[in-house]
Amino acid sequence: MDGNYVALGVTLAVWLGLFWFLLRLDKRIKKLEEKSK
Amino acid sequence: MLVGMSVMIVFSFITPPPQRIIGDASRIFYYHIPQAWMCVIAFAMSMVFSIRYLKTKKLAEDDKAVVAARLGFVFCLLAALTGSIFARVTWGSFWNWDPRETSIFILLLIYGAYFALRGAIEVEDKRASLAAVYSILAFVTVPFLVFVVPRVVPSLHPSDSVINRNLKITMGQTEGTIFFSSLALFTVLFLWIFTLARKVRQFERARQELED
Repeated sequence: MDGNYVALGVTLAVWLGLFWFLLRLDKRIKKLEEKSK
Repeated sequence: MLVGMSVMIVFSFITPPPQRIIGDASRIFYYHIPQAWMCVIAFAMSMVFSIRYLKTKKLAEDDKAVVAARLGFVFCLLAALTGSIFARVTWGSFWNWDPRETSIFILLLIYGAYFALRGAIEVEDKRASLAAVYSILAFVTVPFLVFVVPRVVPSLHPSDSVINRNLKITMGQTEGTIFFSSLALFTVLFLWIFTLARKVRQFERARQELED
């Protein structure tokens, strides 16, 4: 069961890291789109 | 999206009880199947955009086709990775050349060759046309490798995890809710990444045109 919580923690960390990266990329793209208008 | 996926992850590890024989390893199923599913969807999208490119000769369609193929390749790799973790826990080794493992390996080689083909041709129109034809031919193998081969050849891979041969859902209500939520969330995540990657490619093209 302990291993289960470790796996849960790792999966959540990977997901939150990916989400943070995509959100930053999304913001950058929106800025670039505004600039290029 | 943030809340939905986070809740799904927490529930997938806590709510369903461990399965009788494979225990907690069964939880990988909520990630492995949606990844494999997204890989098929991405390769299908790549084929559709390739057909559209051949019809219209617009490079934007080729851009969408290559972005979809890249994402399909990444999801295919993730499915192979999660599958091999499951194989290690249940069958004792990461890779057994089981029919399902062999077919996903062949699929990775086929789409690896797609990127090699693109890298080998410098003239943009020619590259886009040849890659589009290749992408259409490559997708013909996908249903065969993903759905047919593992069912025809005896395999250790679980085959009735979601739907049985009579097309009935085999999961309990809790497992089914988490699984279909995961499938929906992975689809939204895929579409978000696809949109971002397509826009990045558009900017790259615009920059290249300015430099030329």
